[in-house]
Amino acid sequence: MCGIAGVIFPALAAGEREAAVSRMVARQRHRGPDDRGMVSSSGATLGMCRLAIIDPAHGAQPMSSPDGRFHLVFNGAIYNFRELRPALAAAGWQFRTDCDTEVLLAALVRDGAACLPRLRGMFAFALWDAREGRLTAARDPFGIKPLYCARLAPDGLAFASELNALVASGLVEPAIDPVSAAEFLAWSSVPAPRTIYEGVTNLPPGHLLTADTHGRTSIGPWWHLPEPRSPQAAASPAEFDEQLRHQLEDTIRAHRVADVPVGAFLSGGLDSTAIVALMNRTGARALKTFTIVLDDPALSEQEPARVAARELGTEHHEELVTGARVANDLPRILQHLDAPTGDGVNTFYASQAARAGGVKVALSGLGGDELFGGYPSFRDLPRLEHWLPAWRRLPRAARGAVTGLLRTRSSSRARKLADFLEHARDRHELAALQRRVLPEAQRLELLAPEVRPAVARLGPVHPQLDELTAELLDADPLQVISAWELRTYMADVLLRDSDVFSMANSLELRVPFVDRVFLEWLWPQRAGYRFRAAGTKAALADATAGVVPAAVRARRKQGFTLPFARWMHAELRPFLDDTFSSASLAGCPWLSADACARYWRDFQDGRDDRRWSRVWALAMLVAFANRRPTA
Amino acid sequence: MRTLLLCPELFRADGGIARILRLYLKALCETAEPGDAVDCLVLNDNVVDPRLADFSGPALRSFAGFARHRLAFAFQALRLGRKADRALCGHLHQLPVLRLARRLHPGLRYSLVAHGIEVWRPFSAGERRALLGAHRILCVSEFTRRQLRRFCPELDPTRLVVVPNAVDPTLPAPANPAARVDETPGPRLLAVARLSAADSYKGVDTLIEALPLVRRRRSGARLRIVGDGDDLPRLRALARARQVAGAVEFIGRIDDAALQSEYAACDLFALPSRREGFGLVYLEAMRHGKPCLGARAGGAPEVIDDRVGALAPYGNIPEIAAAVLELVRHPRDPAAIRRHAADFAYPAFARNVASALA
Repeated sequence: MCGIAGVIFPALAAGEREAAVSRMVARQRHRGPDDRGMVSSSGATLGMCRLAIIDPAHGAQPMSSPDGRFHLVFNGAIYNFRELRPALAAAGWQFRTDCDTEVLLAALVRDGAACLPRLRGMFAFALWDAREGRLTAARDPFGIKPLYCARLAPDGLAFASELNALVASGLVEPAIDPVSAAEFLAWSSVPAPRTIYEGVTNLPPGHLLTADTHGRTSIGPWWHLPEPRSPQAAASPAEFDEQLRHQLEDTIRAHRVADVPVGAFLSGGLDSTAIVALMNRTGARALKTFTIVLDDPALSEQEPARVAARELGTEHHEELVTGARVANDLPRILQHLDAPTGDGVNTFYASQAARAGGVKVALSGLGGDELFGGYPSFRDLPRLEHWLPAWRRLPRAARGAVTGLLRTRSSSRARKLADFLEHARDRHELAALQRRVLPEAQRLELLAPEVRPAVARLGPVHPQLDELTAELLDADPLQVISAWELRTYMADVLLRDSDVFSMANSLELRVPFVDRVFLEWLWPQRAGYRFRAAGTKAALADATAGVVPAAVRARRKQGFTLPFARWMHAELRPFLDDTFSSASLAGCPWLSADACARYWRDFQDGRDDRRWSRVWALAMLVAFANRRPTA
Repeated sequence: MRTLLLCPELFRADGGIARILRLYLKALCETAEPGDAVDCLVLNDNVVDPRLADFSGPALRSFAGFARHRLAFAFQALRLGRKADRALCGHLHQLPVLRLARRLHPGLRYSLVAHGIEVWRPFSAGERRALLGAHRILCVSEFTRRQLRRFCPELDPTRLVVVPNAVDPTLPAPANPAARVDETPGPRLLAVARLSAADSYKGVDTLIEALPLVRRRRSGARLRIVGDGDDLPRLRALARARQVAGAVEFIGRIDDAALQSEYAACDLFALPSRREGFGLVYLEAMRHGKPCLGARAGGAPEVIDDRVGALAPYGNIPEIAAAVLELVRHPRDPAAIRRHAADFAYPAFARNVASALA
């Protein structure tokens, strides 16, 4: 796990390029405190900082091919590197290390981007071909590891693992894109390929970038979701359960590959407990687990996590998170953010605990909800889809009256329903609206009038609608929902935040459910086996019945929530008062200062505490925009 | 074989649908075997246009315009439908007439040309039934084919055939690229679109918004906009608000010859539209060897690639500006662009139409 950076810009003197890359690497040094490296060649400079996990003594980066033609910087882990290595050695590559980086380099040198579908792991890398003057960069299929890039006029390109690093280069202007800010209000993140900054691109998951020294770049997908059905799919629920258990053990085994201590996050829910139980079953010893606990017993997962840890025999660590602590740590958290987010604070503290507890790698149950139907969307959207044709046959005036009525309700569910009814025409558009946070009218209200036309032009549905619809034409309705959860909320919010906040603590976070091999097996299985009517994530519960404690399986699914609503009225209030002050809002000319201040006042007046996440997200956007950059 | 062609309009308007349906008429006439006949009914045309001769042939047995009289149009379609072996419908709105014609004459095999946004939506029960009864649906792009499958999943995918649009072979040969009308420093961008509020998805406003960013690096950059419509006042106001009113010229509606001159005189053609079913205008510009900028949306990516132009995300102003600058800084090879346009030449189109309807 590392931070990578680079500048391709022959017009810039080598010294200036190196200084810029050096600043970039320094700005993301928390991603890899163990080592640093830099190489310059033919108008390009590549740099990296390393968190040494596999073959810590070797595997320094940038890693170059023996002939000096290729140079690689790589962030992530290739779990099947030992399986890929013999074929590459047989083809003539003389390995100098026992590191996954060298296997990736050898594979890229031999096969170019054609090797990507054989990789199992999480990755973002950049390979510089000095002879051809060509950069090849790619991200893993799900976007576990990040990569951002920016054009440098006239013909250059800079890339980095974090937006903060791009800004630190001094070559990229951190101008907030008002449309991106508006997209953040809609989706709690800025959907790729946009970023919060103008002219900076987030390479989408499963995409490949090529760039040359003439400023020509091209971006395109190298991975797609599998076909929705396969003749090899399990023929009965029992066969499915057996295969699922086998596949789960396989992904856990793959994700435990490391030459340093590996632990796990454990909340006591089904996903994380299944991960820990399967780690035990696949040979983990003296496993350390970590959970955050709250001073609010109604929300804290302390007890279920303790029960799971006791049953599974782990060395369990708890990290108490209070409003006062969050308020105190906010400046540091904000400095680590490279884009606004309203989420991820729990990962920040869990990662801090894991690092302090002596592990360098932790496994997380992230992805279980998306793959096994753990979200309410899997229940609600099929119902809505059923009624949609009848609804759309109603006269326009009647529909307008109903949605108008729903919008006057204070309940966010009612307003979300109004959004669905007003904008969705089929299951794809229902799915494309499901993670919408602020309804369109409310979003526009919070924006400065001059920004509204450009935002309204984009419309209310998610920008990935066409792209995902093309991939999901033959998919089952529940596969459609699962794909949208994977490609939007998980990729843009959960994985992004997990990377930022685990890396802020120099912890490598691994997500065994979010695994290409596992997903390619699971995806074409019959929807009835994967999403069972028996209950939320029943397939996962059944397949792990022999290893997950009965108490955990019996526990009703409980979404994890920090008590922000309470903290925002108390410990976090000074921060919020300051953030929503006139002086602070003046730093965001693309927002309507009056509307934002009113939004905060309404929350303070206690009209609807359920709005906390939207108010908090808005506050984080404002605070981010007013942030002072640090080196 | 007797073929009936229904069209919303052929010569009364110069939009993309009318232009491509002329080629359908031409292809039907030219690929007809001896003894075959083609009847053509056009809802909105009211006079026989002299250009008809360029788009027909001896196989054209009858041609009638109905000056928007729908009832008379439908009646004549039903009457001719009883005698026809096959029928081709130029617009989804007219398809239910052919379904009815087939009920009266079960031997009739009817097909549809699916252009773009008119089929990117849920269908009424009548439209759905008519679609399901179609022998073939000729989609102008893979994108349009996917949208049809999305909104009518019951359709048999094998009946959906992609027949890309073609360049009109009757257009005058491209002018000598050296013969520029003026000698302004440029680059000179050209956009051609209907400027109606309902068609604001064409992205002309985003081009105007991108122009100041382009002019920061290329101070001589100018944008010429061909087209007319009720959105014009908004676009003019936008150009003033962005302080580029002096660099944006609204040309209005022009005839074919003047349009060809505009293509010849521009440095690049730009229409970053969100909903082009195909984007015939890109091909027309490429015919003149001009690079094209489109949006990464709809059918445009099937016509524009890196060799002949650039794609930018719809509505992303900095990216649109960057794409324009990249095209200016790294001009594409005009010969390669013309060759690309030639891939969409009429003869191949005529063969595709004949094969799809066989």
